[in-house]
Amino acid sequence: MNKAFYITAAELAQLGFENIPEELLSAKHLIYSSPATLAFNSPGAQGFGVKRAGLAIPGSVMLLVSPGCCGRNTTMQSRLCGYQDRFFYLLLDDTDIVTGRHLTKIPQAVKEVYDFCQEKPSAVMICITCVDALLGTDMERVSRKCEELAGVPVVPCYMYALTREKKLPPMAAVRKAVYSLLKPQKRHPDAMNILGFFAPLNDDSEIYELLTKAGIRHIREISRCESFEEYEKMSQANFNLVLNSEARYAAQQMEETLGLPYIEMMRMYHIDKIHNQYMSLANAIGVTFDDTQHYARTKKAIDDFKAQYGELIFAIGEFLNADSFELAWALLSYGFSVSEIYGTVGQRNFVFVKAIAKLSPDTKIFSNLSPTMLDYEPSGKRIDVCIGNDAGYYHADVPTVDWNEERQPFGYAGLRLLFEKLDRALKGAEK
Amino acid sequence: MKKLLKLLSPFAPDQSGAVGVLYELGGLVVICDAGGCAGNICGFDEPRWFFKKSAVFSAGLRDMDAILGRDDMLIAKTAKAVGQTDVKFTAVVGTPVPAVIATDYKALKRMAENKTGLPGICVDCTGTRLYDDGEERAYLELLRTFAKEKYETVTGKVGIIGCTPLATGYMSNELFKGTYGNNAVCFGMGSGTEEIARASDCERNIVISTGAIKAAEYLKQQFGIEYETDFPVTPAMEKVLENDLSGKKILVVHQQFAANKMRKLLKEKYDCDVDVGTFFKLFDEYKQQGDKFIADEQELVETVTCGGYDVVIIDNICDRALKDCGCRLIDLPHFAVSGRLDENGGQVCLA
Repeated sequence: MNKAFYITAAELAQLGFENIPEELLSAKHLIYSSPATLAFNSPGAQGFGVKRAGLAIPGSVMLLVSPGCCGRNTTMQSRLCGYQDRFFYLLLDDTDIVTGRHLTKIPQAVKEVYDFCQEKPSAVMICITCVDALLGTDMERVSRKCEELAGVPVVPCYMYALTREKKLPPMAAVRKAVYSLLKPQKRHPDAMNILGFFAPLNDDSEIYELLTKAGIRHIREISRCESFEEYEKMSQANFNLVLNSEARYAAQQMEETLGLPYIEMMRMYHIDKIHNQYMSLANAIGVTFDDTQHYARTKKAIDDFKAQYGELIFAIGEFLNADSFELAWALLSYGFSVSEIYGTVGQRNFVFVKAIAKLSPDTKIFSNLSPTMLDYEPSGKRIDVCIGNDAGYYHADVPTVDWNEERQPFGYAGLRLLFEKLDRALKGAEK
Repeated sequence: MKKLLKLLSPFAPDQSGAVGVLYELGGLVVICDAGGCAGNICGFDEPRWFFKKSAVFSAGLRDMDAILGRDDMLIAKTAKAVGQTDVKFTAVVGTPVPAVIATDYKALKRMAENKTGLPGICVDCTGTRLYDDGEERAYLELLRTFAKEKYETVTGKVGIIGCTPLATGYMSNELFKGTYGNNAVCFGMGSGTEEIARASDCERNIVISTGAIKAAEYLKQQFGIEYETDFPVTPAMEKVLENDLSGKKILVVHQQFAANKMRKLLKEKYDCDVDVGTFFKLFDEYKQQGDKFIADEQELVETVTCGGYDVVIIDNICDRALKDCGCRLIDLPHFAVSGRLDENGGQVCLA
């Protein structure tokens, strides 16, 4: 019987970032797109992949220019409320690819799409795929031709799965694309943007209250913009707050083109780190934040949960609104156990692997994408609760909190919500 | 504009068809892509993915792999995975990336066989063609690789070629065995490479998908096995027949053999005029006057509008395109079009 590959946190920390085993490096082996991984390891499979993310500009539509296979899963996405009328496809055949003749058809296709839409789109996103990556298509130039013919802003969107591990992977590139239509405006000192996600933060996140009390009256997120006019106001911001590193390149572009500086924070679940980040943010923008009550309320929620359930043993996946390793470290620091983590180790989160190794050296680390996961079988050792539906896939009988809702948890409120959901799952209200 | 879809989504591509044929055969299937194609196939076009494990992997190609043509790395990764899983053969399925860089599949096959010691097949898919094209290529490669020997004919044994979820809307072979008898073997559905190797012992073959015709012709040429085309009566077809369609001019849109069966059933029950239309392969030998190949969304609308049809029997995902055509639309699901199984098609034998 073949066994799924794993390494303990202590062994991995000992090896160091430079010596991560090949089984944990997706570039070094075939990729297993198990049902546990489909939600996050396929462009557009679920949630916000490039295609859906590219429609973040209010009122925009997308023309996917590609072989038919690239648009196939969009059938399912189109059925999601509001998307059915926003996707269009220009299918490439073999001759198009060999001769590049499709490039001359795109402006007419954009015009036909524009004319077809009863409600005229604010912008047409042209999504191109691996084929054009290899052909070296200059889609910026084609987009300009489209704009001239159709009279609508046209933005290229690159769904280049081939460049996933590059400096500008598809999900970073699409974040750049969706802010690219912003034009310089007079900046307002009481306005700022939150960048990073394609759905808003949960309304109860204390970040809104803290920023508002500090005098910021306009906190804008692209997903809360209901019209193109509202979207355009994002360039009035005094600064951008980046909550997901994939939006860093978009923030850099906005700094360059709009003069908006940016500050970066990371979503964390370690309560002290949440506090430290808020203090750093306050310092950076020259205000003070009083998060005492939020901290105390959250600490009490964790303590109450622990008093009720004791030292639970967790398994943590990676299709999460969290970094699997940071979340594991946070849970360990609260006195819980983490038996298994299914995640992708990288430079950014290796620091958490080291921290986990100190608190829980025997924690097993698996790669969801390793072909050996085809043979994953639960070890039979106790696991009380899973976080992430990929972890839940491996432990079908264990209560699971998916923790991948589109609305984004953040800060103390996000941490409390996690424990509320864990409580509900353990009481049987969720799977 | 031709090839511009404003109301429909693209249909299942050739690479999905190829994987659908290979899925249950116990091989290690490498989709030669960057990850997106494998995600689409496993997450959308292969409903068995959620019920029956199979060693289907993505090659995880990156731009420099494609630019530099690092076939040796692909073979090394494949060989490593072979060592980690229990598989009987390897299969590389093409996608747009290897098509653009003109990958030499014959070389890949030889390299894989030398490195792993297992039989290897390569299916030259491009992602620009449709699922039945991929099925056709996969069946032929399988037969050429495994069905080499002539076995003694087993009386009453029937080979069913074309049983894939994409073509039939079914994930398991109960409907086909129920229709064609327990002596029927459904190649690639509830059977493995052993059955492919013994394909020559069938008394006759029944072809139920347009992607399987060439495989049946191959078996006829090699082993003299006669074949016919057919399609089982599905609950969805029975539901269509509940409508009173007497005196109507009807267009049935599906894969050709399912549509032909629907036509036969309609004509047996009602006095009606029925044409067949298909987005997929249309074989002259099995078509009747008035049957049409439909290239795209625009042609679908033109066919229905100009054809004077009272009723169009078609997967209801196409209703958006036909809602203004003034004819009655009746649903007949086709998984390769909408990703919808037949109402009983979700039943799956986990044994």
